[in-house]
Amino acid sequence: MMGAGTSPDYLLEVRGLRKYFPIHKGFLRKLVGQVRAVDDVSFSIERGQTLALVGESGCGKTTTARCIIRAHAPTAGQILFRTDADTVVDVAQLPKRQLRPLRRQMQMIFQDPYSSLNPRKTLLDIVGEPLLVNGLKNRQERVARVADLLRLVGLQPEYMRRFPHAFSGGQRQRVGIARALALHPSLIVADEPVSALDVSVQAQILNLLQDLQAQFKLTYLFVAHDLSVVKHVSDRVAVMYVGQIVESAPTEALYTAPKHPYTESLLSAVPKPDPRLRAQRIVLEGEVADPAHPPSGCHFHPRCPYVLPVCRTEPPALEAIAPGHFVRCHRARELTLRGVGS
Amino acid sequence: MAAADQPILNVRDLRTYFFREEGTVKAVDGASFEVFAGRTVGIVGESGCGKTVTAKSILRIVERPGRIVGGQIYLRRAAHNGQESTVDLATLDPDGAEIRRIRGGDIALVFQEPMSSISPVHTIGNQMVETVQLHTGLGASAAREQAIEMLRLVGIPKPERRIDEYAFQLSGGLRQRAMIALALGGHPRILIADEPTTALDVTTQAQILDLLRHLQAQEQMAIVLITHNLGVVAEMCDEVVVMYLGRVVERGPVDAIFHAPKHPYTRMLLRSIPSIHAAVRTKLPTIAGSIPHPFNRPRGCPFHPRCPDFMPGVCDQNEPELRAVSEGQAVSCFLYGAP
Repeated sequence: MMGAGTSPDYLLEVRGLRKYFPIHKGFLRKLVGQVRAVDDVSFSIERGQTLALVGESGCGKTTTARCIIRAHAPTAGQILFRTDADTVVDVAQLPKRQLRPLRRQMQMIFQDPYSSLNPRKTLLDIVGEPLLVNGLKNRQERVARVADLLRLVGLQPEYMRRFPHAFSGGQRQRVGIARALALHPSLIVADEPVSALDVSVQAQILNLLQDLQAQFKLTYLFVAHDLSVVKHVSDRVAVMYVGQIVESAPTEALYTAPKHPYTESLLSAVPKPDPRLRAQRIVLEGEVADPAHPPSGCHFHPRCPYVLPVCRTEPPALEAIAPGHFVRCHRARELTLRGVGS
Repeated sequence: MAAADQPILNVRDLRTYFFREEGTVKAVDGASFEVFAGRTVGIVGESGCGKTVTAKSILRIVERPGRIVGGQIYLRRAAHNGQESTVDLATLDPDGAEIRRIRGGDIALVFQEPMSSISPVHTIGNQMVETVQLHTGLGASAAREQAIEMLRLVGIPKPERRIDEYAFQLSGGLRQRAMIALALGGHPRILIADEPTTALDVTTQAQILDLLRHLQAQEQMAIVLITHNLGVVAEMCDEVVVMYLGRVVERGPVDAIFHAPKHPYTRMLLRSIPSIHAAVRTKLPTIAGSIPHPFNRPRGCPFHPRCPDFMPGVCDQNEPELRAVSEGQAVSCFLYGAP
């Protein structure tokens, strides 16, 4: 992997990111353990591209995203971000005060369009707030800019004096996107941006996100659990399991030729909308491991259909098995796994 | 036994309205479908289409200010003399003894969010033993034995121990299994599952769907599966009912719905779902607009403002009726017959 210091193609490069949460117990709040929510995660995103971080609940994908925008302070690791001034900064190390100018350049879109907008503010206030905070004091200019932003996301500017309750879920998500775009960010972190929406509206928002990306050369970190959604939007996919990336690859390769048994079973478990494909699904036994007490060796070994004795004792490393294709599995090179075709 | 080709449950032109101060919401406005033993019917649609209110109407647990204002819900059940009898659930007293025997006994319900539908202050066992005793009249210890058997049946490890745990001690998947065990306590002939896997991860979802299929084969249960997930419908259902704003827009065998959909809404819904078989980074066809607010229900066909085949003067003036277009498939659209 090339370093962000050397290649200007990368907007974001994450190296060895860790985030541990302490577990306190009892009256004296004694430290009794740690939840390794993110445990040695590395990836990079090229400018203008989309990386999807996928996995099941508790796998650490949201914590990873929150570390990148420094909503959490990472326990260890580097988050190298190329700023608009074309310098590389380590977001993980920056003191709070120096983060502020960076926050304009990295924005977040949230899952729940009902709880992420203040119900007592109008769209003008919601979308205009980042502008105001960042020095656009002239009200008229602000109104004009908010009108532009609303138009951009497919809302009528006349709506700007209304409150969020007057809008449907899809429209609210458009408001959230307009707010994120207000300050011309380069990186958008979208945490499950369509999973709370109805099917017919989901497609509209996914298309909008793609149009905006093309128009403004945006770079997306797309956090999602739905592998069908991810296939429509991403250039690369990283699959997480119990705090670690177990496989990352260009989207096509990951879907058609997965190399990690967990990726194979995830792809197989997705219900296919065609009754003629009623599948020989791989149904995994057991449940996702507890990140406070991860299994020994490979974290996936208790559920893995291809487990060997070595998997129980030796934790596998993330290795490149093809250009740009990384897998954390002892048997990655020998297994032939089933993917899904186009 | 009566002929197996008779439906156990036959819903005819069901109408459930909510009378609010701001106006009347026609949550279900003329839903008809049939449910057969050992088969699964899926009710699909987006938010506000009335799928959950349909389920609640069948069990007569619609909250006020909602009430059933029209239609019949015929349930075939065994009478004391071994004969079959048919009862119209829509006419029963919702607080009466008969519907209370039917709930949990003949028809059981599994909800989307197990945490809010299992009591947090009683153990799993307490709640199961109560259900089993109510519907079988067994003694406490025999009922407990049966409850443990049920938990084993739904795949909960170490059921002897889990039975004394509370809902919060179980993971999402185990909680949903416990919820299903609770529903099966009275050996129902019909299981209504309202978004049973929506809150679960895909690998857990696959486990729960497998479990439902397995239990259905074993108990010859009929399943009414309510979901917005068309993938789940394709994998599980024999028949599909597609609803939009309180009305059934199309109904038919699962293969016809997915491979020969007739209603413009069904066709567009199928095209707009993200597919794992799609080419990487492709845009999806979309349905224009959004689902109208229930107070502003469009005149005529409720889908006409979003419909690509909208016929002015026809679709906005008249309400289409559900009519048969082929064997087992019916559609409510003027494209298949003028008003």
